[in-house]
This record gives sequence, structure tokens and C-alpha cells, in this order.
Amino acid sequence: MVLGLRNFTERVGNAAGEPVLDAANGEELMHVQPGVSIVLGNRPRESAGTLYISTKQVIWLSDADRAKGYAVDFLSLSLHAVSTDPEAYPSPCLYTQIETEAEDDDSDSSDSESSGTLDLSKIREMRLVPSDPIQLDTLFQVFCECAELNPEPNDEEGEEHNWIFGADQMEDEEAGIEGEDDISQNPTNSIGQSNGDHDLARTVLELQINDQRFEDAEEMEHDEDGRHI
Amino acid sequence: MLFFSYFKDLVGREVTVELKNDLAIRGTLHSVDQYLNIKLENTRVVDQDKYPHMVIQCVDYNSVFSFCKLSVRNCFIRGSVVRYVQLPPEGVDIELLHDATRREARGG
Repeated sequence: MVLGLRNFTERVGNAAGEPVLDAANGEELMHVQPGVSIVLGNRPRESAGTLYISTKQVIWLSDADRAKGYAVDFLSLSLHAVSTDPEAYPSPCLYTQIETEAEDDDSDSSDSESSGTLDLSKIREMRLVPSDPIQLDTLFQVFCECAELNPEPNDEEGEEHNWIFGADQMEDEEAGIEGEDDISQNPTNSIGQSNGDHDLARTVLELQINDQRFEDAEEMEHDEDGRHI
Repeated sequence: MLFFSYFKDLVGREVTVELKNDLAIRGTLHSVDQYLNIKLENTRVVDQDKYPHMVIQCVDYNSVFSFCKLSVRNCFIRGSVVRYVQLPPEGVDIELLHDATRREARGG
């Protein structure tokens, strides 16, 4: 996945046109907001355009220039916020921070800005200024919903979140702690075998985690072997 | 998941969220989801002396649009960019956390 902001030019039809979305991969349009101007980094505000928010990304398309448009994946949006403080920005706006591929290297970004060329991959802040500030709350909500649709890929916790145990279950487990402590004091007794009180799901869960522990232990043994040889 | 249930209990309290880019934002915890995405209300960027990186960023940006002037009404922070969450001392039940982390370490 490419982090950061990028150019976006694929539009449907010949008119000002909606953006072409990746419908084959389930991308859907969630919200359209006309009359939004965009501010990239600390560059000047650009002319009005239309904001398209899909399940995957935020796309801004210029109304005047068909060739002009920007997109950023929700995966790259670190935070978004409603900014109404005139000290922060003169117009009420939706402020976003963008995660970029480039490491935090401010000299690069200032170089590209001073030379006048716009390197989108280094833009770390984006402001979306709706013509009517009353739209900000809606935009904020839509951004929240879509961000939640885009958890980190390969996030183990994300896949395993159906493990959540409620407070009731936590109390149950606390009741069993005394017995488990006895087991842990006996090193010959492997954890997970003697917990007759637990349901199958919990046993499996413990076994999975024990497996990981064994893997770690084996790696360490290899290291030690290597050092001996 | 320990932290998900734990943070849910902190809704309504003041927390400070420190991001991996060294920005720290203080605000009232509005909500948290399973990915530890965090929504704050009445936010403000805190204590720039404590976060020298932010000051550097301000200097480099050299404009009113810099991080340190970030003062926003409500704020959604992606869970994956959070480095630390500072909790209110009165919102921390040490005994409960102790037990929960022990349980987590044992694989539960």
C-alpha cells in the first residue's frame, strides 16, 4: 500500500464527473460534498472543488480543472479534526494529518516547497474548507465512520477482537486465579492442560499463545546453540 | 483487548494522547473502538516544552499552520498512530490493571 497523498484524475464521463472507484473491490461512495476547497500543507488554498468520500479513500476533484484532483486512503489519515479556531486557520475546516512514506525529514519537505514543485508524497497536513461551516460536523462523522471501516491490514488484534471478554467473564477468571497460581508454581505442569474449569475456547486460546511461547523459546535455544558452536 | 475494555471505562475523562509523530493532544475521551481509534472532544495540544519535537516542527513549518497551533473542537485519532495515552491518576485502578495484565501475560 502506498501511504500519503497522490494525484487523482480518473473521472466518470466527460463532464466535471465523479471519480472512478474500485467497485470490483467493494469500494462505495459514502458522501459527496460540493463547494469544498483544499489546502495542502502550508500552501495557499486552492479553488473550489467537490469532495468525494468513499469507503476506502478521500478524493477531492477540482471543479474548474478536470486534470486536477487529489486522493488519500483512510489508512494514511492519522487524525482528522474539526478546526474552528481562527488562530489555527482563518476559516473553519476539517484538519487532517497524513502519514507519509518518507520518514520525518523536514529538510526534504521544505526543499520541495521552496523550489516550488509540489511533492504530494511529502504532504503531511491537509485542510478541507467547506463553503458552509455547518457541514463540518457531518464531514467529521463521515470521516470517522470510514476510518473505522479501514483498520490496519495484518492487524492481529483486529482479527482476534471477537475474543473480547466482558466484565462478567473477567470476574469468573479472577475466581480461578488461586488454582492457576498453584499450577504455575509447579513447572512440570504445562499451562493449559490442567485447567478443567475453562471452556474449550479458552483452552484453545491458551494453547495458541503457548505455541507462540514455544517458538520464542526455540529461537532462543538456536541462538545459544549457535554461540556454543 | 485488555486496553479496549480498559479505555472504555475512561470515557468522559481527560486523557493525553501522544502520537508517534510526537504530537500530544489533550482532551476529553469521547469514545474508543476495538482498533483503539480514539475520539477526543475539547482538545488542545499540550505542553510544548515537554514535546520539543513539536517545537522543532513549528520552527520548520514557520507558519501559523503549524502543529503547535492545532486547537480543535473534536478530533479522531487513528489507533495505529498512537504511541502513549496518559491517563488521569484517579481513573487508574492499579489492582485491576495488575490482575488484568498478569492474566494477559499468561495468555488469557
